[in-house]
Amino acid sequence: MAFTRKPQVYSSSINEVTIGVGEKAVTFGGSNIMPLYTFDAPAKNKVAIGVEITDSGVDRTLPGIAAYYEGAETISEIAARAAEMPGADFVVLALNGADPNGDNRPVEECVEIAKQVADAIDVPLAIVGARNVEKDTALFTAISEALQGKNVLFVSAREEDYKTIAASAVMAYSNKISAESAVDINLAKQLNVLLSQMGIKPESYVMNVGAAAAGYGYDYVASTLDRVKDAALAQNDVMLQMPIITPVSQEAWAVKEAIVTEEDYPDWGDRETRGVDMEVCTAAAVIAGGSDAVILRHPQSVATISGLIADLM
Amino acid sequence: MFTLTFKVENQPLDIKCQVDAGENVLRAAQRAGIEIDAPCAGNGTCGKCRVRLISGALEMQPNPRLPYIDYEEMWRLACQSKVIGDAVVWVPATASAFKQDIATADLSSPEELARYEHAIQGIFSSGLSPSSSESCGIAIDIGTTTVAAALLDLKTCKVLSKASRGNGQIRYGADVINRIIQQMKPGGKERLQKAVREETIIPIMQTLLKDSGKSASDISRIVIAGNTTMEHLFIGADGDSIRLEPYVPEFLELTGVDANRAGLPVPPDSPVIFAPNVGSYVGGDITAGVLDTLMWNSDLMTLFIDLGTNGELVFGNSEYMLCCACSAGPAFEGGDISCGMRATTGAIDSVYINEDTLEPEYTLISGEKPLGLCGSGLIDIISELFRTGAVNSKGKFVRESPRIRYDEYGGNYIVAFASESGTGKDIELNEGDLDNFIRAKAAIFSAIRTMLKSLAMSVDDIDRVIIAGGIGSGINIEKAISIGMLPMIPTDKYSYIGNSSLTGACAMLLSDEAVEKVFDIGRNMTYIELSTEPGYMDEFLAACFLPHTDHRLFEQT
Repeated sequence: MAFTRKPQVYSSSINEVTIGVGEKAVTFGGSNIMPLYTFDAPAKNKVAIGVEITDSGVDRTLPGIAAYYEGAETISEIAARAAEMPGADFVVLALNGADPNGDNRPVEECVEIAKQVADAIDVPLAIVGARNVEKDTALFTAISEALQGKNVLFVSAREEDYKTIAASAVMAYSNKISAESAVDINLAKQLNVLLSQMGIKPESYVMNVGAAAAGYGYDYVASTLDRVKDAALAQNDVMLQMPIITPVSQEAWAVKEAIVTEEDYPDWGDRETRGVDMEVCTAAAVIAGGSDAVILRHPQSVATISGLIADLM
Repeated sequence: MFTLTFKVENQPLDIKCQVDAGENVLRAAQRAGIEIDAPCAGNGTCGKCRVRLISGALEMQPNPRLPYIDYEEMWRLACQSKVIGDAVVWVPATASAFKQDIATADLSSPEELARYEHAIQGIFSSGLSPSSSESCGIAIDIGTTTVAAALLDLKTCKVLSKASRGNGQIRYGADVINRIIQQMKPGGKERLQKAVREETIIPIMQTLLKDSGKSASDISRIVIAGNTTMEHLFIGADGDSIRLEPYVPEFLELTGVDANRAGLPVPPDSPVIFAPNVGSYVGGDITAGVLDTLMWNSDLMTLFIDLGTNGELVFGNSEYMLCCACSAGPAFEGGDISCGMRATTGAIDSVYINEDTLEPEYTLISGEKPLGLCGSGLIDIISELFRTGAVNSKGKFVRESPRIRYDEYGGNYIVAFASESGTGKDIELNEGDLDNFIRAKAAIFSAIRTMLKSLAMSVDDIDRVIIAGGIGSGINIEKAISIGMLPMIPTDKYSYIGNSSLTGACAMLLSDEAVEKVFDIGRNMTYIELSTEPGYMDEFLAACFLPHTDHRLFEQT
C-alpha cells in the first residue's frame, strides 16, 4: 500500500506580532504547524534572531566578539554593527547597567542610550530591562515616550508590573511588550488573560515563558513549550496563541560552562567555544520547542542558528 | 528583669509578670494564663493577637498584618513584640474569641434540628436499627476550630440539649500542623489534651447536663467524631506520625476506650466510641459524615464536601468511595482572613456590590452591626468584586473608588466604614486575604478535579453534591461557582447538610448497627494522598485564578 502523507496542519494558528517599521519590520509567529514541521505546511514567518548589546557595549573579553565589533566604539557604532550582523533580524538593547542593585544607571541616561541605538539602526529594536519592578516600569515608560513610532518591543512585563508597562508602552505609545512567566503553562496563560482583560490586543504582545540553559532545568522549559504549543494549536486556546520570544543569551552566558576560565578548567578547553556551544544548543532546543524568536549574543551563535533556521524552515 | 502588666478588658484585676529583656509578649501572656488567640501560632501572619501599648515600650518590626495607622495608635501584634523595658499592655476581649460560645452548624436552629431528625430517620429507614436504651448519651464533634456536642435520649432519639464552643487548642495554632508541632514540644501532649478536654469538652458537657436537667450518672455512652489529628491529640497519641512522611497515623480505629481512660466525668465504664479514621487527613468526622449523607445507600454518584478548617472530599456511591483531603486552610471559617470570622452574630453572610459605584449592600447572620465576614460572605464579596471588575482574575485590585484604598501592600476594599461597623474600625478585605481565599478555593476545586481524573471521570459525572461544615447554610452556590470554587453543574444538584459529623455521631450513639456501618465505611474507602498525586500541583496552579485558568470549565454551553 502506498504511503499517504497526512499533513498535521491545525485550524488554529499562532498570532502574528510585528515589531519595527518599514521594510525591515519583523513579524513573529503566524504558523499553524508544530515547530519546524515545514513538511506539513510552510511556516508563515521564520524564527527571528535578535542580537544583544548592552548599555555598556559588548563583552570584549571574548575574542570573537571583540573581533566582530572592532573599531565600533560608541554605542551608536556598536548598534549599527550589531544590526549588520549576518543572520540577525533585530537588535536587542539590554539595560543591564540600570539595575538598582548594580550600577543603577539613571533613567534619563538609559533613554539617551536607547535613542542613540534606535537612531543608529534600520532594523527593529527590542529593549530588555533591568529585571527590577520599579526600575523597569520607569524605564519602559520613559523609553516608550522617547521612541514613539518606532514600534519597539519591551522585554518583559511580569505579573508584578504588567499593568503600568502595558498601559504606557502599549496603550499610550503603541509599542509591543513581552509577557514573562516562570516556566509554567498556567502562569503564562494567566498573565495573558490579565493583559487581554486590560484591553491589550493579541497583536500587541508576545510571551516569554521562561528559559534555562541546556542542562540547567531545561526539561521544565521543554515540557512547558510543548504544552503551550499543544494548547495553542491542538486545543485552540486563544490565550496561549501568542508568539514566544526566548532571551537565550542571558541564560547561556550566565552558567558555569560559559564563565570559568580555561586556566581553572584546562580540560574544558576554550571558554568562548563553550559559551557559544551553550548558546547554540539552548537556542536550537527552544526553537525546536516552538520559540518564534531568540535573543543571542555571539556572532558565531547567530551564524549557526540562522543557518539552522534557513535549512529547516 | 522588667515588669509587664496586662490589663485585660472586662477583667477587674491587672496581671503583672516579671519578664526578661527580649521576651516575646505572646509567650509571656500565655505563661501568665492570659488567653490571646494566635491562629498562626505566633508566626506574625494572621494579625489576630493585637494588643495595645498603654505605657512603656515594646520593640516590633513593621508587619503587613498591622496597618501603620494602627501602629501609630499603639496597637501591636503580641507575637511580634519584644519586651525592652517595663510596659503596660491592654488586651481586648476579642483577643480570646475562642472562649465565646459560638453558634455554628450545631443543631441550634429549628432548621438544623429538622435536618437532624430527617437525617436520623433516613439512617434508620436505610436498614440500620436503633439499639434502644433507657439512658442518655453524648455525641461530640471535635472540630479543629469548633467543638459541638448534643445530649440525646437514647430511647426517644430526641436531642435534649446541645452546645458548642471554640476548641481551646486554637491558641496553639489554627491548623492541625501547628497543633502537632506544639504537641511534640515538652509537656505539649498534656497541654493540648487539657485544652480540648478540661477547657472545652468538659465545660460543654456541663452545659449539656444543666440544660437537659440530667446528671452525669444518666450518661451511658459517648461518641466522639473528630479528624485524625483531633482524635490523636484528645487521647494523647503522637501526632507527628500524621505530619511526617509516610503520613501513617498511630491509629485508624480506636476501640475499647471507656470514660475512665478518656478522662470524661461520666460513669467510668461507659464506652467512648471514636468514629474511625481513613488516613492522616481524612478522619472520623468524615466517616461519621458519610453515614449522615446516606451516599453509602445510593446509586447516585455523590460528591460530599466537608468545608471545615480543612476541606475533605468523598466521591462515590454504594459500590465504592474515594476520599481525599486538601489543605484549603481555615479561610472558609473566616480564618487567615484579616476581617474573617465564624458564621455567628455580626458576621456578614451575603454581599452585593453595585457595578458603577462599587458601593456594597450586605446582610448579617444576626445582630445590628457588622463585625466581619464569614465564609459565605467571603465567597459573595470575592465573586462580586470580580463581577464588577474591581479585582482582576489574579485577585488584585484594578479599579479606583472611595471604597478602595491602596497602600504599600496593595488594594483594600472597605466593606463597612468604621462609623457603621461594630468594631469601631473599617471592615476591609485586602489583597492578602484575596490570595488566601483564592488558594483555599483552588485547593477544593483542584482536589475535585484530581479525584475525578483518577477515575477517568469529569464533573459532568457528578449526580449530586452534598456540602457540610462550618461554612454555613448561607453559602450561595451560584457565586461559589462563579469564582471557580465548585464545579459548574446545575445548582439544583447541590445541597447543604450542616454539621454532618455531629449528626453522624448522634446516629452512632443511637445505634450499634450504625457504629458497625461507620467502621465499614471507613475500611472500604480508598484514600488518595493528593500531595503525592503527580497532576495535583498543576491543577492547583490552574485553579489559582478567577474563575480558573481554563475559563472553558466555567462557561455556559
